[in-house]
Amino acid sequence: MSTTWITETSQVTRRWTTDGIRQPWGLGVAIIQPVIWLLLFGNVFSSVATVPGFGADDYMTFLVPGILMMTVLYSGAWAGTGFIDDITSGVMDRMLTSPVHRSSLVAGQLVQQLGLCFVQGLCVLGIGWLAGASYDGGILGMLVALGASLLLAAAFCSLSSAVALLARDQTALIGISTIIVLPATFLSTALMPASLVPSWVETVSQYNPLTWAVEIARTAMSPSVDWSVVATRSLWLTALAAVVAWWSVRAMRTYQRSL
Amino acid sequence: MPTSPDYAVDALDLVKTYPGGRGRPDVRALDGLTLTIAAGTVHGLLGPNGAGKSTTTKVLTTLARATSGTARVAGHDVVREAAAVRRSIGYVSQGTGADPLLTPRENLVMAARLRGLSRSASTARAGDLVDRFGLTEFADRGAGKLSGGTRRKLDVALGLVGTPSVLFLDEPTTGLDPEARSAMWAEIRRLAGEDELTVVLTTHYLEEADRLADGLTIVDRGRVVAAGSPESLKATLEGDTLSVELVEPDASLVSSVAGSVALLRDVSVHVEGPTGRLVARTSDGPAAVGAVISALQAAGIRHGAVGVSRPTLDDVYLAHAGRSWTSSDVAVKELAR
Repeated sequence: MSTTWITETSQVTRRWTTDGIRQPWGLGVAIIQPVIWLLLFGNVFSSVATVPGFGADDYMTFLVPGILMMTVLYSGAWAGTGFIDDITSGVMDRMLTSPVHRSSLVAGQLVQQLGLCFVQGLCVLGIGWLAGASYDGGILGMLVALGASLLLAAAFCSLSSAVALLARDQTALIGISTIIVLPATFLSTALMPASLVPSWVETVSQYNPLTWAVEIARTAMSPSVDWSVVATRSLWLTALAAVVAWWSVRAMRTYQRSL
Repeated sequence: MPTSPDYAVDALDLVKTYPGGRGRPDVRALDGLTLTIAAGTVHGLLGPNGAGKSTTTKVLTTLARATSGTARVAGHDVVREAAAVRRSIGYVSQGTGADPLLTPRENLVMAARLRGLSRSASTARAGDLVDRFGLTEFADRGAGKLSGGTRRKLDVALGLVGTPSVLFLDEPTTGLDPEARSAMWAEIRRLAGEDELTVVLTTHYLEEADRLADGLTIVDRGRVVAAGSPESLKATLEGDTLSVELVEPDASLVSSVAGSVALLRDVSVHVEGPTGRLVARTSDGPAAVGAVISALQAAGIRHGAVGVSRPTLDDVYLAHAGRSWTSSDVAVKELAR
């Protein structure tokens, strides 16, 4: 990583961050959405915790890691929107004819998305705490949970960017959101423990990156952390994020070849 | 490949095809285009919509890759030395290069930073360009709220951030009102006066090419149909252009009647809806006017104004591409529908 690459990437990050801050509506929705989920699911499903075999003491403590990961998933699905805007307006053409690394254009935008996800994650943890969730894992547990959410976010933001660059169409991103994200939510342990879902869902959920991230966060924030779960799931998430990020950089080059 | 450093652009036999999609044949946007542009000049790529001007620009700016053929820009190969080309050029696309949520100044600073200038150098460069393009009043407002003409100035300023030796302007005045257009022309003329800057300009406005360009390449259907200075291109056409406005014309009848007038040559008739135009070349304008009017009236053909003019680039285009500017532009729009 040369210093040029770092300068370029940080400039790209800075640009998207400024853009984000100047669209207060988008930022507001990004913060309010997880809060609504947390309070809504927390109330609607609160009796689930009393079902025999649930395993945890209260639903809010169980729910926070799930909502944390759902939030970055839904947020990440839209990460590619900025690239589509740039392609439509002509900004992308100017970038691609300037001596900027293609990987900086992708990485800089990813860093901004991760920053947004981090802020969202802090809000989820804060609101969850106010709503009565307990974080027995302490600061370290919360940091591990946030770290897991960023790994998941890296994979999904990159997926969205790659699809945006290949399809160049907003509706394709709506497709990701409805075809992948929604089923992924229900085929995971985000809202329901594995012991309470049909066995086929349990099997599928074991291969779901959302489940991996939720498992990391749940154990990290529990009184007795299972570090082997944290280590293995983190490894899988890192590998996934690396592969998809690499794909999104390739998508940038594919986009240029299509011109 | 040895190349003369006097050429800012040296392109040989460029071909670019795009997949037609859904079983349709491939679209051949460039069909063996060869082009040289002398350094330090303003060069116009002129042609109707869809002629291949923008594709040529995209290949020369490394944005798109030609299917075959080679091109050197500022002495560097556009494929093998793409990074060196990108450092030597500025590109102003048909869209906007500016982020609408950033201010003009922020856009300029970021562009400079991305080209490797230090923070202080970038701020200074942005300040210079803001002054030079008269953007001071707008420099710290959202770029998305600028008027068309001001935004276009910002686009050109963004193209110049890296002090390029070749500046590509793709249809810089399309969509601008007449006032903004003449302001942009003045800007381009000023750029032309700068040392060692080559401006490559695509346009489908004949007047724009005529006024701004030192050299012209007329492009049609992905090929070069004529090249030279505007004056030399017009001078290749001998005599004057005679044109007659027609009302509900019968094209074949008009052609045969006009063809029988001995003073006329290169007769063509263009019909657009209920009206039409007869265009021909003549070496004796005044005499030809009388002869044409009597021939048309004798045949009972209704006509409007009859005029004689010095050759224009429209005539050059007609002579080389075999059809008139206006009619080919219309044809392309119909295809696009």
